[in-house]
Amino acid sequence: MNEFGIFQENGLSQTRRQLFGRAALGLGTASLAQLMGPSLQAATTSEGMHHKATAKRVIYLFMSGGPSQHDMWDYKPKMQGMFGKDLPEYVRDGQRITGMTSRQKTLPVCPSKYKFTRQENNQDGVWVSELLPHTAKVVKDLCVVHTTFTEAINHDPAITYIQTGSQIPGRPSMGSWLSYGLGNVNENLPGYVVMHAKSSHAEQSLFGRLWGSGFMPSEYQGVLLRSQGDPVLYLGNPKGVSRSDRRNQLDALSALNYEQHQRLGDPEILSRIKQHEMAYRMQTSVPELMDLSSESDETFKLYGEEARQAGTFSACCLNARRLIERGVRNVQIFHRGWDAHGNLPREHESQCKDIDQACAALIIDLKRKGMLEDTLVVWGGEFGRTAYCQGGLKKENYGRDHHPRCFTTWMAGGGVKPGITYGRTDDFGYNIADADGNPLKPDKEKHTPGTMHIHDLNATILHLLGIDHKKLTYRYQGRDFRLTDIHGHVIKELLA
Amino acid sequence: MKERYEERHLNLSNRQDCSWNKGMRKIAIACLLVGPILSEEGPDFSTEILPILSNKCFACHGPDAKKDEVRLDSYEGATEDLGGYSAIDSEKPENGELLMRIHDEKDPMPPEDAEKQLTKAERALLSRWVKSGGKYAEHWAFVKPGIVEGGSIDRLVEAKLNGKGFAPEADRHTLARRVAMVLTGLPPEKGQLEAYVGSGDFEELVDQLLGSERFGEHQARYWLDAVRYGDTHGLHLDNKRGIYPYRDWVVKAFNENLPFDDFITWQLAGDLLENPTVAQRVATGYVRMNVSTAEGGAIPAEFQAKNSFDRTENFGTIFLGMTLNCARCHTHKYDPIVHEEYYQLMAFFNSTSESPMDGNKYEYKPVMKAPANAAAWKQWDAYVKKREALKARGEGDFAEVAKKLDEEKANLEKAFTTTLVAEELKKKRETKVLRRGEYNEPMGEPVSRGVFEVLNPFPKDAPKNRLGLAQWTTSRENPLVARVLVNRFWQSVFGAGLVRSPEDFGLQGRQPTHPKLLDWLAVDFQESGWDYKGLMKMMVMSKTFRQDSVRRADLQDLENLLLGRGPSYRLDAEVIRDLGLWAGGLLDPTMGGEGVKPFQPGGMWAALSHPGSNTKKYVADKDQRVFRRSLYVYWKRTSPHPMMTLFDAPSREVSCVRRTSGNTPLQSLALFNEPQRVAMAQGVASRLLSEKKNDAERVNQLFQWIACRDASEHERMVCLELLKQAKDAKHDEKSAWSQLAGTVLASDTTILLY
Repeated sequence: MNEFGIFQENGLSQTRRQLFGRAALGLGTASLAQLMGPSLQAATTSEGMHHKATAKRVIYLFMSGGPSQHDMWDYKPKMQGMFGKDLPEYVRDGQRITGMTSRQKTLPVCPSKYKFTRQENNQDGVWVSELLPHTAKVVKDLCVVHTTFTEAINHDPAITYIQTGSQIPGRPSMGSWLSYGLGNVNENLPGYVVMHAKSSHAEQSLFGRLWGSGFMPSEYQGVLLRSQGDPVLYLGNPKGVSRSDRRNQLDALSALNYEQHQRLGDPEILSRIKQHEMAYRMQTSVPELMDLSSESDETFKLYGEEARQAGTFSACCLNARRLIERGVRNVQIFHRGWDAHGNLPREHESQCKDIDQACAALIIDLKRKGMLEDTLVVWGGEFGRTAYCQGGLKKENYGRDHHPRCFTTWMAGGGVKPGITYGRTDDFGYNIADADGNPLKPDKEKHTPGTMHIHDLNATILHLLGIDHKKLTYRYQGRDFRLTDIHGHVIKELLA
Repeated sequence: MKERYEERHLNLSNRQDCSWNKGMRKIAIACLLVGPILSEEGPDFSTEILPILSNKCFACHGPDAKKDEVRLDSYEGATEDLGGYSAIDSEKPENGELLMRIHDEKDPMPPEDAEKQLTKAERALLSRWVKSGGKYAEHWAFVKPGIVEGGSIDRLVEAKLNGKGFAPEADRHTLARRVAMVLTGLPPEKGQLEAYVGSGDFEELVDQLLGSERFGEHQARYWLDAVRYGDTHGLHLDNKRGIYPYRDWVVKAFNENLPFDDFITWQLAGDLLENPTVAQRVATGYVRMNVSTAEGGAIPAEFQAKNSFDRTENFGTIFLGMTLNCARCHTHKYDPIVHEEYYQLMAFFNSTSESPMDGNKYEYKPVMKAPANAAAWKQWDAYVKKREALKARGEGDFAEVAKKLDEEKANLEKAFTTTLVAEELKKKRETKVLRRGEYNEPMGEPVSRGVFEVLNPFPKDAPKNRLGLAQWTTSRENPLVARVLVNRFWQSVFGAGLVRSPEDFGLQGRQPTHPKLLDWLAVDFQESGWDYKGLMKMMVMSKTFRQDSVRRADLQDLENLLLGRGPSYRLDAEVIRDLGLWAGGLLDPTMGGEGVKPFQPGGMWAALSHPGSNTKKYVADKDQRVFRRSLYVYWKRTSPHPMMTLFDAPSREVSCVRRTSGNTPLQSLALFNEPQRVAMAQGVASRLLSEKKNDAERVNQLFQWIACRDASEHERMVCLELLKQAKDAKHDEKSAWSQLAGTVLASDTTILLY
């Protein structure tokens, strides 16, 4: 038997790279799952990679720019009486301030202009601002975390940090880690899909690295589902080439490649033939995915009419649901424009309008389809916004700078406790606080109960998906890298 | 001066953070210098034991161990009396704690909850090692490569082939394609191919390829990946940056075969040479290649630190093959690099004069003006030559000529363009050790510039600046640099390095498959005067390179670790594109200049760019420029061209010394449907239809272009069948041929090296 015959005999299109690349990296189950193909993989993953997974898939709604927890989720009535007064020094307590407000003479307290109402959940209730009327109605399904924190205070480092585990570019994105860990159980669609939702204040940069695979192979990188041109890059045949023409081309290609395989014996060639076939299937599965004509009017009522317009956040959420229905396990939507240094009310009103109904719709939709219980939905940004005003402060108009010490994220479904809140902040929404309102000083080095560092968030997401964040490693430059670097704690209090 | 340094050094050594490590390490190094002492039955420490200790034990018992923790990274540490016992008992090996604990079921080491456990085989190896005396030797890569008598590539490869011998030589067609693709990134020209197939004079072909300007373009690509070359700043707005003269200089340096030690020195410190030339200063663009930002809220001190980290770590990766990132925050867990040493190395890069923030400016100072493309470089060099000749003849009598030359110079300079360069601050910027690598947590007194103690000492007479660092780097005493470089050059020729982890020669890296060969090549490279073309020639002329690349049934060697067959791998993104353009008769050979923008689907930049960015709108070029070689494609670091990233090109935000090779359905879609690919297929079709009279000849010609040979019987049959199907589907001659050409261009006969 020749050296590759063994694989042919077993009917596996195992490749040299897969076998040696990954096995040599000491990856256990993940590589085995990849190796054995979808059937075994599905069996493995229902059990989870390292432990039983409560979430089989994840939809991550990423709000780029830093949504204001003050105006959406973190209700601070005592600030109302402090309007315009300088933020007490003991509250700021040495917190470094960005170059944008560090030259400001005062740091005036800036209470939210929005009305908050207490919504019943499965605990003591949760206060939600009038900017989120729809989301307010689904809080019984949400786990609202008020105490997410980070060290980074500017966008590029902060977003790179939360999405790759490092403030400096070069690491694989969280989505790539998940692709690597979860594999792809879908034979017609990519395993990790990324969408960029439209926003009227798209004043933020995104970077390829946020869904890129860093030092991992390109097959783990996110596939962009676009609202302009081909939904997947180069999906459509060139003008004049029909589907049957392409079938003929691919048949000829396979014949040529088989001959090349016979000549060289390189198993990677067989693997490539399979990828060409998947591409062919994607040419029908993606348009079918994007064709919303089978969706009922009721669905559009739920998501809002803008769901009919390609590229809106609503359309992206609906697509996300359609993707996971079709077996895609890892979907991420980026919505830009939350960086409200000035004119926060005007900007956040339109931003919230973009997302509010669709977020709620997604939860309701998943629930009625019985998918919420094993689908994790995550909502959040890279940091929060300050309690003090940036620029001129008026009751009706103000701006807020970046704030890393606490911000709100929420999760739903997939084994997360529904209808709870986690953690609390001080009266200024500035510091994470203990039960008595005294500032805690959490540190990524050591977990403080009631807090959630961004590494903890990522560790918890991985945990829900059956992955131990300490065990999912990739050897590069002599080091076994992890998404959570050398940090991260699973927040057990959030697990159902 | 020296005394003061030592005094401070002593102070530092007394600091709690470093004292133990530093002191311990000195002993360790002293002991390691004893060299490999192996009793006969013991396993080889450096290749068999050290990797286990490093991977499974050093996280707690290595260079960064806590103060009272057992140390296993040196013999002294392992045999230290810990109060009646020691990890290794040199007198009675079977009594040592290490041996006991790795077999102890109740209180095992590594502990039960440790993420990395020992395998049975590893336990057995460790036991054998301890029982044979538990002696240490230094990690191979930190010992200067030895002289290998009578070395040659083929002799050292053949010695490892277990008597099975080399595979037969590949046929001339295959070999001509292979060597041309490896050296120039393009197939051989028709005349070259025919001449070689006729004469069998391989050396003649190799010399022609080495002399082609396509050579420098192709070789430069690997370097540009390593130094993370990009046309934009890379962070936040990711605005345009003036830097492409550096790229053109790299191409030129490869084509002119600039000795590699000069190539290194100019990049690290061209500005510090006496009366630096334009080229020497342009080369310092290397120092400026880190990503940069001017984000509104960014704090300058933070980015001063980050920029310097980036440079230091890039230096570590591309020259030392070491991951220094760990030592930014703490003493390295595996490699003997102390936290403080990282900052001593960083101090060389921390005193350049640019602002830590780029201001979102194209002219991110300091900048200079330099020739704007390859042709302009040639004119400039010609001018310099004339000027020098004039000088040599003595001045005074040639006032007229001199005046003319001045005019020529002024004219040339008018067309110069901006490029970022390095300049040194007049007064050094202080560098302090940063706790956990946090810019706002400096510790102790400023450190002095220095290199790692485990490597060669800093040359005595060398200045303590980047120029001295370049001397240290290119010193014959440096155990790493030449090895790391030749390993990457080997990788570019054979598809994989002799050390399969070219980014890591440290304790966690892979062992060389052919240690003697690596050493021999490294020493030979240095002795040749760092002759890059000479080394490339030697590699491709070898029997090892010329073997057939077919898998062998008699060698169980999937990864080709034994090198018992010729190279075979998927071509890089750039090469796949260039090959298609070339076959389609479209390739524009113009060299250098501003990055070119071929077609790209609409909205790709806009979808992620800040509205304030000057790279938010991609406007494709309209003329012949779109068919320039891929090396010249505009590189926006936060969103490179999708035809690059889909085929595994790195983003160039950070160094890449080894590309991954993915295999995805998106690649298939791109190969068939991307507009440039369609243009290539149409180009091929037009050429075939006009140049050849019948279909069989056309199919042969097509394979001549992409495989340097006629089609096989089966291939011809498959192609003609596809052609027939297309015509049956009412496609005209041209589009039927375009479909066929597109298919063959997408096939593994085209996109692989073999």
